[in-house]
Amino acid sequence: MILRVKKNLKLADAIWQMEIEGDFPYNKVQAGQFINIRVGQGHDHLLRRPISIAEVRQDEGYLTIVYRVVGQGTKWLSRLEPDMPLDILGPLGNGFTVEEGKYSLIVGGGIGIPPLYELAKRLSAKVDRLDIILGFRSEHDVFWIDRFKKLASVDLFTEDGSLGTKGFVTKGISEILADKERHIENIYACGPIGMLSAIKGLIGKLQIGGGASLEERMACGVGACYGCTCMTTNRESKRVCADGPVFSWQEVDL
Amino acid sequence: MQVDMSVNLLGLKLKNPVMPASGCFGFGKEYSKYYDLNKLGAIVVKATTQKARLGNPTPRVAEVTCGMLNSIGLANPGLDKVLSDELPWLKSYSLPVIVNVAGETVEEYCSVVDRISRSKLAHAIELNVSCPNVAQGGLSFGADSKVLSELLKRVRGVCSLPLIVKLSPNVTDIVEIGLAAQEAGADAISLINTLIGMKIDINTGRPVLARKVGGLSGPAIKPVAIRMVYQLADVLKLPIIGIGGIYTAEDVIEFIMAGASAVQIGTANFTNPMAMPDIIDDLERYMKEKGIKDLDQIRGCAL
Ligand SMILES: Cc1cc2nc3c(=O)[nH]c(=O)nc-3n(C[C@H](O)[C@H](O)[C@H](O)COP(=O)(O)OP(=O)(O)OC[C@H]3O[C@@H](n4cnc5c(N)ncnc54)[C@H](O)[C@@H]3O)c2cc1C
Ligand SMILES: Cc1cc2nc3c(=O)[nH]c(=O)nc-3n(C[C@H](O)[C@H](O)[C@H](O)COP(=O)(O)O)c2cc1C
Ligand code: FES
Repeated sequence: MILRVKKNLKLADAIWQMEIEGDFPYNKVQAGQFINIRVGQGHDHLLRRPISIAEVRQDEGYLTIVYRVVGQGTKWLSRLEPDMPLDILGPLGNGFTVEEGKYSLIVGGGIGIPPLYELAKRLSAKVDRLDIILGFRSEHDVFWIDRFKKLASVDLFTEDGSLGTKGFVTKGISEILADKERHIENIYACGPIGMLSAIKGLIGKLQIGGGASLEERMACGVGACYGCTCMTTNRESKRVCADGPVFSWQEVDL
Repeated sequence: MQVDMSVNLLGLKLKNPVMPASGCFGFGKEYSKYYDLNKLGAIVVKATTQKARLGNPTPRVAEVTCGMLNSIGLANPGLDKVLSDELPWLKSYSLPVIVNVAGETVEEYCSVVDRISRSKLAHAIELNVSCPNVAQGGLSFGADSKVLSELLKRVRGVCSLPLIVKLSPNVTDIVEIGLAAQEAGADAISLINTLIGMKIDINTGRPVLARKVGGLSGPAIKPVAIRMVYQLADVLKLPIIGIGGIYTAEDVIEFIMAGASAVQIGTANFTNPMAMPDIIDDLERYMKEKGIKDLDQIRGCAL
């Protein structure tokens, strides 16, 4: 479907935010789903770029994405101006399950953080307690902290210590899991694979709900080509685009 | 002007010459959410093997200039699941169903073809002979005319359906291979499968695909495909299904002029899920504009 660029602005070092408006099934979006964006013209780029939906504003008729410029496709996106058309598919994949009443923890790392914003909005309205842990490389990469702070308490980590606590998000998670007063029931995470597998390690055999959102190279983005598979703990293969990108901690092999 | 896009292929009546290329359309379910599959000339499903295959490690797809690389590794749910969960669903469509079969040994090919033939769930078999032959140290069945003949003779014995043989372009002389396939009992030829390629990430200095090499598809391979279809159409009596880099109705016309009876479309589905219905509509419009009443009028005209 063809939508339009509403706004496209730079948030931090190589990080951009784009609002996209037009006819879209906004009311059907689950937090954690993604859109698949056609970039370039003609045969410039045959494969679409998967980008998570960071926020949906059904009332105003637009959705927001946050993306890091890493190659030609995302560079092309960063050059788009308001009112220019954008060819997208979506919403695609299976997002996070928002469970009422549970003590929930959101953990995000770097460019994995955007889809967690729509999730945090929905969770904060439905659960009694929500904690958020976000990690970045350095203060230059930080975005949207104020937005998250309006929804819940945020623990901020940077690898170089230039902002918040120095270190990785796993430090914050271990502390919470060790705290006898806090009985985390759900952990929702998106970020680099190393972060996700460290979290799975910390969870171990604990019965924790929520889930991990994975990234994989995609071709079709709709489940038809088997390009983007990941492994489950019982050695089955699942398609990140169609069976995921969100998988339960127990199911996914990280 | 009324135009007739229909094609009679191996006794099957196709509404139009357009069908998906194996591996680029799953078993049809995903794209059925975008349009009515009855729009297509036929459906070709993912390669089916005896046992379920997980395929190669990821990353197993990459974008390159005017094309893409894949090293999926024939991932599929295996024959039992394909027969029980995938093919029955396609019965609700009035479409010829072509099942792509792959294997690592002659025995595997035969046993899969045998069970699909007898299942009544398929109208034709497409034999993917680009697979590595375990007995020959991994060289593909389609790379050697003697090995290919041997395979086809054995498969022919158990195949009661029309047999399409899908050739690999990674050979020295496609004509020799095509003639061997015709001789050994193929009913039709489809080509081309992917060309072997590689991409290196210059930031890491490492190949992008986990398996290092992968099959190149998309517009980049179309001239090679046109050349090979043309060469075979010149010498074979069998119908030919042209495959490789088709993105537009004009591309379809080019393959038909090179001698193809029908075409398959792969990578274009990824760029645009509506690629095939759009191309079919455009083809009809093109034929009307150019006064082409039916495809026989132009088929093989370049030969
Ligand atoms: C489900 C999902 C959600 C994502 N959400 C976001 C998001 O919200 N914000 C964001 O900045 N990025 C996100 N990504 C990563 C994003 O898809 C890539 O950064 C982007 O495709 C890079 O395109 P490029 O042309 O700039 O880079 P290039 O490196 O030139 O791309 C070449 C090819 O590799 C693919 N590719 C490169 N990096 C990745 C990657 N990390 N993951 C998957 N494919 C990749 C591209 O799609 C393209 O096909 C997401 C990925 C997935 C799978
Ligand atoms: C992701 C992907 C998976 C494929 N899987 C198969 C397969 O299972 N069996 C097969 O015979 N060919 C397979 N192919 C090859 C295609 O059917 C086709 O021959 C090739 O992609 C060229 O056509 P195109 O340029 O239109 O994509 C695959 C191609 C791609 C891109
Ligand atoms: S990208 Fe094709 S199956 Fe996921």
